[in-house]
Amino acid sequence: MMRIKRFAVMLLGLALVAAACGDDDGGGNLLADVLDRGTLLCGVNEAQPGFGTVDAAGNFEGFDVEFCRVVAAGILGNADAVEYVSLTTGERFTALQSGEIDVLIRNTTWTATRDGQEGATFLFTTFYDGQGLMVPASTGFTSLEDLADANICVLQATTTELNLTAVFNARGIPFNPVGFADNTQLRPAYEEGQCEAWTADASGLAGWKATIEGEGGEEQRILPDIISKEPLGPVVRDGDTAWAQAVEWSVMATVQAWEFGIDSMNVVGFASDDPNVINFLGGLDPALGLPTDFVVQIISQVGNYEEIYNRHIPQIGIPLEGTPNELWTNGGLMYAPPYR
Amino acid sequence: MIQTPIDSGGRQTSVVWYRNIRVLRAVTQVVAVIAVVGLVWWLLNNLVNNLNRQNINTDFGFLNRPTQFQIPYDEGFNPRSSVWAMVLVGVKNTFLAGIFGIILASLLGLIVGISRLSSNWLVARIAAVYVETLRNIPPLVVIIFFGFALFTFGPFPVITEADQYSFFGSEHNWLILSNTVWGVPSLIAEEGAGLLWVGVVVGLVAAGLVARWRTRVFDRTGRPHHRLSFALGTFLVVAFVGYLIAGDAYSMSWPALAASGRRIGGGLRLNWGFISVTVALGLYTASHIAEIIRGSILAVPKGQSEAANAIALSAFQRYRFVVLPQALRVAVPPVINQYLNLLKNTSLGVAVAYAEITNLTLTSIGNGRPAPQSIVVLMGVYLAFSLTISFMLNVYNRRIQLVEH
Repeated sequence: MMRIKRFAVMLLGLALVAAACGDDDGGGNLLADVLDRGTLLCGVNEAQPGFGTVDAAGNFEGFDVEFCRVVAAGILGNADAVEYVSLTTGERFTALQSGEIDVLIRNTTWTATRDGQEGATFLFTTFYDGQGLMVPASTGFTSLEDLADANICVLQATTTELNLTAVFNARGIPFNPVGFADNTQLRPAYEEGQCEAWTADASGLAGWKATIEGEGGEEQRILPDIISKEPLGPVVRDGDTAWAQAVEWSVMATVQAWEFGIDSMNVVGFASDDPNVINFLGGLDPALGLPTDFVVQIISQVGNYEEIYNRHIPQIGIPLEGTPNELWTNGGLMYAPPYR
Repeated sequence: MIQTPIDSGGRQTSVVWYRNIRVLRAVTQVVAVIAVVGLVWWLLNNLVNNLNRQNINTDFGFLNRPTQFQIPYDEGFNPRSSVWAMVLVGVKNTFLAGIFGIILASLLGLIVGISRLSSNWLVARIAAVYVETLRNIPPLVVIIFFGFALFTFGPFPVITEADQYSFFGSEHNWLILSNTVWGVPSLIAEEGAGLLWVGVVVGLVAAGLVARWRTRVFDRTGRPHHRLSFALGTFLVVAFVGYLIAGDAYSMSWPALAASGRRIGGGLRLNWGFISVTVALGLYTASHIAEIIRGSILAVPKGQSEAANAIALSAFQRYRFVVLPQALRVAVPPVINQYLNLLKNTSLGVAVAYAEITNLTLTSIGNGRPAPQSIVVLMGVYLAFSLTISFMLNVYNRRIQLVEH
């Protein structure tokens, strides 16, 4: 009798736990959840100079990290209300699909396959990049053909891995890709000569070139061939349009502010007769679920696109002028839809 | 025995259904089954719903789509082959690392286990230090250590300046060593190979027959049978005749640096991930097997060793004929366990870029293949390996077990 009673109590407990855990509401209200929670869970990189690194005190910094703060400032009103989740290339999409993070801002390339197969929605491109290869300058390589039979270091689960295979096979150059799980394992292998070349996004390579040479390593050369298009931007889950739009308009606000000439110095009390500017700075509520003053919060707490870019990217060797990341009025591709 | 209750008047009463023990047991079991099945169904339903909400498919069709990435150190693999082909390559690589690791671990473990009980103080201490060091380091650390110490930061040169060794004045390279890949000679089967294998099989059969004949002679006349020597001799003669008839059975393939100087063509190519994983896991598991062997030797009653000494057996004979046969019987089940551990630890090869099945599965998941189905396939692979090893070794165990009558 006692055994049966105990067993029944156990089953009841199990049922209660199951009921408490299960909350499959069908998705679609991540915005409300984030506002409830009060912090943004942002997936970032911790080993990509310029885009996502950890400093000596354990604080995340970088171009992508700043956009996490932009989203937090826009939606929550506080740029510091972010919890950073460091992810490797292999786990970033699984973390997004499972709900471990709200948004992934981790130098991730927008491709059709990822849109379709990863259950991901890619938002406004914040950085137009391309894939390149880096070799030690002492090898004297100048083109892809020189890399016949070479061992090439690459990160697993990236578009660079697939592009490398496609491009080299198309040109008929034999090669051997050595895939590593993250850059901390890849870099020693590259520096000790286990691979003759390192392939990644050109911006990433510029960061590593600066780091390696800055720490007294061998001189590096980035080959002139750019072998693919790599548009990098924030990523959210499929199936939640309200959240996607909230994040996207927060990110695009930085580009629009740049176009209007608004930066973190002059945003507070910015005077203008242009009704577009007045609307932009809080005169309009387009029912996106964002607070009316979200632009002012973003620009005052973080900055506009140009300021964010100049805080991180020129330091790894890519100044803004002449790149596709310039404003559209200066010949680049940064073009925000009108806030109207 | 269910006793029917007797009330105060001495009459038998029947039990209410909700107190009847048989009813309660049946109902509880039904409820338990419903609860477990319900829980599992609910979990799977949750998974499928969430995947469908994000438009990720839930079938196994991905196995037929192209892999799209190249497998490291496997030039023959075409990236347009299906994911199923990639799984087979992963299974092959895991199997190779596992089998050579198991062989290394068994031999080394046996030697170190026996050494630890040696009366030579230095030998015993060295074995003890080896066991205590390696047993207490996590296997991942051991693998990374060998990968880094032997190869990344190790003594071997870069492939373009690889060391090439030649022995016996041969003009071919016998050994090419670099910090990414080693080349050793291998055999390539020519046309006569089939005939040679026929000769080998015939030789084995003949050897078995000869051994049986010699045993019968021994039973009849008592003369020493020497059946091993006779069988071996018969096998060699028949196999040699087969080799002569077959002609060109195998030719040697020598490793050589390709024209670009960055690849080894020909011969057998061992990449650094394979060597690190095999050596590291072999040494790590050997330390565990050494302790098992030592324990099993100590489990043999001391009287056996004393009796062996009393009939003047040498130390080697004592181990070979008295102690080890009894000790190894006890050691087989825990050693099976260590073999399974070794096989599962090959999944740590991800750290040294070894293309075994876990590494390839994680890469393909990261490249857009559906995660739950890929993990199911991965689990199936490890389950198949483990069940096969357990089954084979349990058959062997049952044969050598001492049966209590």
